[in-house]
Amino acid sequence: MSWLTSPWLTVRVQIGLGAIFLVAALPKIADPPSFAHMIYNYRLVPGAVVNAIALVMPWVEILAGLALILGVWRREAAVVCGLLLLVFLVAIGVNLARGHAVDCGCFDVHAAGKTREEQLSDMKWVLVRDFGILLLVAQVFLATRRNPRLAGA
Amino acid sequence: MNRRVVWGRIAILVVLAVVCAAAANLAASKERKLPWVGIYARALDTSAPVPSSSEPRPSSPSSAVPAPAAAAMGASARFPAHPDKASSEIGGDDAEALHKEGRLFLDARRSSVYAEGHIPAARSFPVWESDIDGRVKAFFDEGLDQNAPIVIYCSGGDCEDSHMLAEKLYMVGFNALYIYKDGFPGWSKRGLPVTKGANP
Repeated sequence: MSWLTSPWLTVRVQIGLGAIFLVAALPKIADPPSFAHMIYNYRLVPGAVVNAIALVMPWVEILAGLALILGVWRREAAVVCGLLLLVFLVAIGVNLARGHAVDCGCFDVHAAGKTREEQLSDMKWVLVRDFGILLLVAQVFLATRRNPRLAGA
Repeated sequence: MNRRVVWGRIAILVVLAVVCAAAANLAASKERKLPWVGIYARALDTSAPVPSSSEPRPSSPSSAVPAPAAAAMGASARFPAHPDKASSEIGGDDAEALHKEGRLFLDARRSSVYAEGHIPAARSFPVWESDIDGRVKAFFDEGLDQNAPIVIYCSGGDCEDSHMLAEKLYMVGFNALYIYKDGFPGWSKRGLPVTKGANP
């Protein structure tokens, strides 16, 4: 199973992962009030910190994504991406469990105008997708741990 | 690699993100700017928006000297002031009737969405934009009759922006706030006129 942590695969996975986080961050950076609205809709964080999260989180995503693409601090960037994905999984999972339908706000910060049933269905797919991305993070993390030269400067 | 180094670099990434966020927010236009501390009373409440205020309103100069009751009862006796709660919901027929009477309409959606199309003569009060409190203060300073009906709308459905705006206006003394629950989509669906652009 050493091919799973091979440099050839790791480089491709880290670039793909970095691109995902870059693409996800851009609309949030372009329109912080809409992203704050999305976070508010999740009903998981106190009102006082909604805006601060909306302002900072996209920049964390973009810096982690850039680090992965450029091959700098790869392990640290993978840890950050993994932590972000865990937060997303918990946020979606909690709202799915309590039947509170929300638009994901993952790659688009504008309301999709979907029905409650469509939103709940989408949320299940988001869980599956985020879990898949988490596997990519695990690959980069394990590869950089086994081969410190891959960890980046 | 030392675990301390890993967490140190992660901390540097986060600090860098905060610096970038602060710089971007400083440079952003007022439509895209956000205050760092949000004031959202229902941020942890998953129940449907309630068209009334759960908090007592502080007394304000305006509510201490209410406008003559006759002014409020004028053309819109069906839509009286309700100082005990922030807002009441109305349907499409009532919204249309109040619009025909020339009553004031406020649009709580983002200013970019407002520019794409809004109810004619409605004024833009984008509740998610940084200058909303300034707009509410300026609106209060206009000295309008606070017991005259004002219609607030957003995107209908689950949209809470109009309720959030109603709370803000209620807190400064407006007593007759009516929320058009179907919002702009409902207005468009009824085939009623729509105005485009950044001005009412």
